[in-house]
Amino acid sequence: MKENKIRNIIILTSIIVIIVGIIITVIFGFNFELLYQDTKKVELYLNKEFKISDIKQITNEVLNNKNVIIQKVEVFEDSVSIIAKDISDEEKNSLVTKINEKYGTDLKSDNIKILSIPHTRGRDIVKPYLLPYLIATLIIIVYMAIRYIKINSLKAILKLIVSLILAQGVLFSLISITRLPISRITMPISIVVYILTLLFVTNNLEKELELNKEDNTEK
Amino acid sequence: MKKIKILTILLAIILISVIAFLGVYTQVQNRMENQIKDYSYAMDLKGTRTIRLKVNKSNKTTIKDENGKEVEDSSSLTEEQIKEKGYTKEETPYNPEEILTTENYKKAKEIVEKRFKKLNVQNFNIKLNEQSGDLVIQTTENKGTDNIVSNLNTTGKFEIIDTETKEVLMNNSDIKLSTVMYGSNSSSTSSTNTGTSVYLNIEFNKEGAKKLEDISNKYVKVEKTEENTNETNDENNTTEDTTKTSEENNNEENKAEEKTITMKIDDEQIMSTSFDEPMKTGKLQLSVGQASTDTDTLQGYIQQASNMATVLDTGNMPIKYDIEEKQYIKTDITQEQLQIIKYVAIGVIILAVIVLGVKYKTNGIIGAISYIGLIAILMLLIRYANVVIAIEGLFGIALILVLEYLFVNKLLNKITKESEDVSINKQLKEIYKEFITRIIPIAIAIITFCFMKWIPVSSFGMIMFWGISLILIYNFTIIGSLLKIKAENK
Repeated sequence: MKENKIRNIIILTSIIVIIVGIIITVIFGFNFELLYQDTKKVELYLNKEFKISDIKQITNEVLNNKNVIIQKVEVFEDSVSIIAKDISDEEKNSLVTKINEKYGTDLKSDNIKILSIPHTRGRDIVKPYLLPYLIATLIIIVYMAIRYIKINSLKAILKLIVSLILAQGVLFSLISITRLPISRITMPISIVVYILTLLFVTNNLEKELELNKEDNTEK
Repeated sequence: MKKIKILTILLAIILISVIAFLGVYTQVQNRMENQIKDYSYAMDLKGTRTIRLKVNKSNKTTIKDENGKEVEDSSSLTEEQIKEKGYTKEETPYNPEEILTTENYKKAKEIVEKRFKKLNVQNFNIKLNEQSGDLVIQTTENKGTDNIVSNLNTTGKFEIIDTETKEVLMNNSDIKLSTVMYGSNSSSTSSTNTGTSVYLNIEFNKEGAKKLEDISNKYVKVEKTEENTNETNDENNTTEDTTKTSEENNNEENKAEEKTITMKIDDEQIMSTSFDEPMKTGKLQLSVGQASTDTDTLQGYIQQASNMATVLDTGNMPIKYDIEEKQYIKTDITQEQLQIIKYVAIGVIILAVIVLGVKYKTNGIIGAISYIGLIAILMLLIRYANVVIAIEGLFGIALILVLEYLFVNKLLNKITKESEDVSINKQLKEIYKEFITRIIPIAIAIITFCFMKWIPVSSFGMIMFWGISLILIYNFTIIGSLLKIKAENK
């Protein structure tokens, strides 16, 4: 009885979180990390090795502590790629001047282009994971239909589907509500949540199966 | 004796742990080199080949005759010759304004995506600028990347035209499937024809097959009194028709009567030919290069044929692109960040094993050392099983460590709680039964993930697969044995 009450509270809370999440997503959309946004990039050839932290110091000064992605380019790692939400011509000039000062290079601002990097669509991030989820879930449903025939397979399958939807729904709703950015770890977290949901549902169903077995033995 | 047994197993675990975590170093040319295989990282942890495809804005020059027909082989004509013959020069953009639409940009992106999938690329990211149509593509850097890149800006336009009237008889919409085939060629007439031949097999759809049959009936080879069966190769020695549609040296009389077709891929003439007999199968086989016994040569032909098959199969790019940028960019996840993750993980593991030791005393210490041993073996397995580690894989490792900890904790808890009369074997059996019944759906999911052609998903699947297999085998053989020996000790 108490367990049922707790379960109902959890389901109700999850549904509320999901509804709020959907509303916030519809109004504001998801918040994506810089890697997935429309950005600007400049590439500077330093012709010598450098430390990311030193470049970071320069970008902090020039770009007013804006969020940036700094990457080493090519195998010799003597070029740097700086990605930011926006880089103006003045900021580019300033970056070039500071880099020239720091590394003694003779970079000309006019020769350096500001390139646009388009955003990654959310559906492109999620798409590769949908098919594996779908295939795995279908096979698991078949397994559960056989395994839990004694405790009502349909109920077991329904439990699995509802749990999976609720778990993923709550995860993405929380991301949306808290405005946490969709980042490189979002989908790995989604997989972990998927696996943990499977473990949780199976554990509950196995317990039910054991109880059912005990009841039958007693009878 | 029993103590020696326990110590031997524990020392073996410690040795494996040292090998896995610190490595085995030998001197190679005045430097110390770790002999243990390195980890393979996916593009999110290593770096990507970044390719920028820019919409072509240049013009193509076409030379037309007085009737407005395009002149063939006009590249060799000089300005004077053009004037003399009364030809006119026209500059037309490769990508006229009307085709530069968002719809076409999206279609181009889809085609690039299809090409990646057909080329079996298991990790890529395509970004489209819907205003300019430019595409930024990130993919894994490996031996095959250059070849993959070479396929990206190819238009993939396939045409079979009437050589004389230039009427388009067939195009991409008639193709159902393109595949690469090879077979041995044991012609005794010529030594150059022996070996393995590589074919590009173009299978047409229902409509295409009908068209091909009609064409092969219409463009039939004219019978000659003296037949010369020398086959001709095209300029770049890539293709020739092997379905008995070879072009023959015609005598002057018949030449006028014989109608031929020209096959073009990306506006480049592949072959001109007529047909010996009607083609009813709806399949056309084009041999790529010549028969050869040299593996490298054959590999090159297979690559060439497979590139053509990919391009033909994935459809005609509506827009012509140029590769503007093609460089390797290292990941922005720095070594320092990875070190932080490593130290946090080590901290958590140390804390977890201390808890085991405090909670279960001697059994806990055995469990703790065994737990570290499992991590070490898992790390070696990942390296030698060539598992590519993506961020998802790192989460997989973490999940395995949690599962193993729960397993060991449950086993030790059961041993501590239950009476000494219950044998370790029985307790192990019960724990295993409980674990296996609960892990089956997860096992189904991870095996499914292993077969997915998407590195982040397969990385997670494979690490989980090796991890769970290891948990099942290792706990039975190592922890089980240690606890059994210890129980016998009493």
